[in-house]
Amino acid sequence: MISLISPVETWAHRIPAGAKLLALSALTVALFLTDRPAVLAAATLAVIALYLSAGTAFLRQGARHLRMLWPFLLLIALWHGLTGQAQAGIVIALRLLAALALANFVTMTTRLTDMIAVLTWVLSPLRRLGLPTRAVTLAIAMVLRFTPMLVENGQRLALSWRARSPRRPGWRIVVPMAALALDDADHVAEALRARGGILNDIPDGRN
Amino acid sequence: MTGVELRDIGVTLAGRPVLQGVSARLEEPRVGIVGRNGSGKTTLARVIAGLVAPDAGQARIDGADMAADRRAALATVGIIFQNPDHQIIFPTVLEEIAFGLTQQGQRPRAAEAAARAMLDRFGKGHWAPAATHSLSQGQKQLLCLMAVLAMRPRVVVMDEPFSGLDIPTRLQLMRYLDGIAAQVVMITHDPGQLRGFDRILWLEGGRLIADGPPDAVLPRFEAQMREWGGLDDLAHLAG
Repeated sequence: MISLISPVETWAHRIPAGAKLLALSALTVALFLTDRPAVLAAATLAVIALYLSAGTAFLRQGARHLRMLWPFLLLIALWHGLTGQAQAGIVIALRLLAALALANFVTMTTRLTDMIAVLTWVLSPLRRLGLPTRAVTLAIAMVLRFTPMLVENGQRLALSWRARSPRRPGWRIVVPMAALALDDADHVAEALRARGGILNDIPDGRN
Repeated sequence: MTGVELRDIGVTLAGRPVLQGVSARLEEPRVGIVGRNGSGKTTLARVIAGLVAPDAGQARIDGADMAADRRAALATVGIIFQNPDHQIIFPTVLEEIAFGLTQQGQRPRAAEAAARAMLDRFGKGHWAPAATHSLSQGQKQLLCLMAVLAMRPRVVVMDEPFSGLDIPTRLQLMRYLDGIAAQVVMITHDPGQLRGFDRILWLEGGRLIADGPPDAVLPRFEAQMREWGGLDDLAHLAG
């Protein structure tokens, strides 16, 4: 998600995250209210127009993010074509494409911090019940921070293996990778503690 | 009562004494702690920062016990670890710096403004949205330094902060360090990094074996390291 935010500053960056997420939810529900391919095709075109309003470079970047969807869309269309429900296949594929493109648009124009602020606000009723929600938002940030590091650890172990073996490492690096992850977790826990850990009386709402 | 006060510190980890009877009151602006690998330097750094509570003795900064009073510790002492990847908690630079400030009780918006001000102070305003993962090792270490300084600690503890960095990067970071008003306690095995320091503690086998101005301690330390370098003590296993 970190790499997904567009460096090109668009008009949509300036809209509050909460408003964008609300609009996203409403529009996604709306996409499920119709089964007519023409309406869904129009909706998809509208989403493309939305991307275009932010510039062609932005549209290209968005298309790159969504490229991994094609196999799934193709599979859905083929399956329904084979079972004689071509129209249903088109409906599902268009709906999926429009909904995910819309979600991707919000991701590309919203900073993680703002996304987390909305989540914190949504979770605020739980906080009133006495459940600590700061840990949830902190956990999301940490997953985003450490996923690339875990991948790197795995690649380093694989290299170390290949340096001393003609065969590919495969599953055999799973255990050392897990041990490494636990060790890293210890270090990060210490870093978190050095800066106060999860203190419960710290304001975590919005301004 | 000002400064770092260590009174008869003892720490035992997994049944092995790591620090024994370490006492010192550190009031000088720049204090270096030298010693070999396994001499207890890193443990002492953690004791000073309040991350490890000593099994014996007392460690205080400005009269407060950093291990017991974590809230006071947040306002008083910051620590920079050897490996910045063990320190950076957040995916973007701005969040990493702002985190400590919200921990100190600032509202998110104010914390973000202060974090930007810290970046500007180091001429790194354009780093704000950058992914921490994509930074170089030296940039990560500088980010750790900025994140700690933003919290305005009285004491900054640094545990081998320059190991693994090339010489220009190290010199640049050391120059940043010169401009810091906070007291710096730097752990290192390299006497070359302690130029201009006011006082040096030398740890060996968990004990303080020398304590004084650099001119008095470092030449002896270097001579001893060279002498030991001629031996083969890699043969000994701990425990």
